Amino acid sequence: MSVVDESLVGRILDSRPPEPRYLLPILQEIQAAFRHLPREALLAVAGRLKVPAARVFSVAGFYKALSFTPKGERLLTVCQGTACHLRGAGALVESLEKRLGLRMGQTSGDGRLGLESVNCLGACALAPVVTVDGDVHGHLTPEKAQELV
Amino acid sequence: MNHTHRKVTGTIDGRKFEAPHGATLLDTAKGLGLTIPTLCHHPGLPPDGNCRLCLVESGGRLLASCMYPLRSDGEAFLTASPLALEARAFVLRLLLARAPNDAYLLGLAGELGVGADPRLTDGADGCIRCGRCVRACRAAGSEAIALVGRGRERKVAGPFFEAPIDCVGCAACARACPTGHIAYSEEPRSIWGRDFDLEPCPLCGRPMGTPEELRRAGVENPVCPACRRREYSKSLMGLPEASFPAP
Ligand code: SF4
Ligand code: SF4
Ligand code: FES
Ligand code: FES
Repeated sequence: MSVVDESLVGRILDSRPPEPRYLLPILQEIQAAFRHLPREALLAVAGRLKVPAARVFSVAGFYKALSFTPKGERLLTVCQGTACHLRGAGALVESLEKRLGLRMGQTSGDGRLGLESVNCLGACALAPVVTVDGDVHGHLTPEKAQELV
Repeated sequence: MNHTHRKVTGTIDGRKFEAPHGATLLDTAKGLGLTIPTLCHHPGLPPDGNCRLCLVESGGRLLASCMYPLRSDGEAFLTASPLALEARAFVLRLLLARAPNDAYLLGLAGELGVGADPRLTDGADGCIRCGRCVRACRAAGSEAIALVGRGRERKVAGPFFEAPIDCVGCAACARACPTGHIAYSEEPRSIWGRDFDLEPCPLCGRPMGTPEELRRAGVENPVCPACRRREYSKSLMGLPEASFPAP
């Protein structure tokens, strides 16, 4: 069980009125602060906003940008949208998985690096695309993708 | 809102109807004695329109009849046109992929000559993700469970995929489930992997609910519905109990 900085959760909760409509922005801030949504934090959110824990959990599980397990400090996302897929995203995935020893959706044991897929980043002209912490790298080959690491 | 007494007229399968403005197509069809298969719809719960089994055709369009409010005169609906039947068969195949052993779905499949697609039944768990359980729980006064996740991963669960912490053991979810996916026992009460006590009715001794459930209802000194009805009638008419038929 992870140890959670309760005062940080408290500050995030204090920064907004305790109303259900702030559920998503609060979850996003907790995700940004902890790189995942710790259980204690979710329960604290439910209590403060008076939203049932089941709904908090459901919302938390719906968005790809939110996760229950810690994401890597650096995040590589490989676009698997149609355009990227047609232009060889599959080979990028293979090459990155091999290089990093990770499967898609996993984070390295030391928490340094995460590998994820995403559906269309809106940069189809640059397909295939990989982002590193949000920076877009386009027209990649399996070799060039390895250089990103 | 002055529509209360307005009527809407039209036809379903060629038969004329006159319905209150805003009534659903499904209820109106039922009133004419027509059967439209439904699954996510439950008469006592807010509609959600997610299963699409109740599709009906109107002028080449497909409508989910459980969610379609009748608002304009002269519409003509077909519950069994080739388009409607084809759509229903398609939906049925998807639902069967989720619950391949469900008797109701298999019955409909037999009528429509549809078989479950064996390539799709992979990972079938008997839950069709209709959310009736979630709506029933909310209507009962809790929100202990929810649909969690996206796409094929989506499933009914308590927070953290554990026994729902806010569950009071009322079993409303399980009773509302059309496929019997939620395992439970009425007596002794057990649901979502937890056992609950059952409080006996102080008058007749029959179990009337879990203590948690009674607390949620917020009624002081509760008695079971049958006894309440009997007490109420007695108090109204001052007649001996024996003059009322058993509830
Ligand atoms: S048994 Fe629990 S989960 Fe089911 S409806 Fe009742 S409170 Fe909700
Ligand atoms: S458990 Fe039953 S009621 Fe709930 S979504 Fe699944 S099929 Fe529907
Ligand atoms: S498909 Fe990859 S950016 Fe659009
Ligand atoms: S019964 Fe109408 S959409 Fe499910």
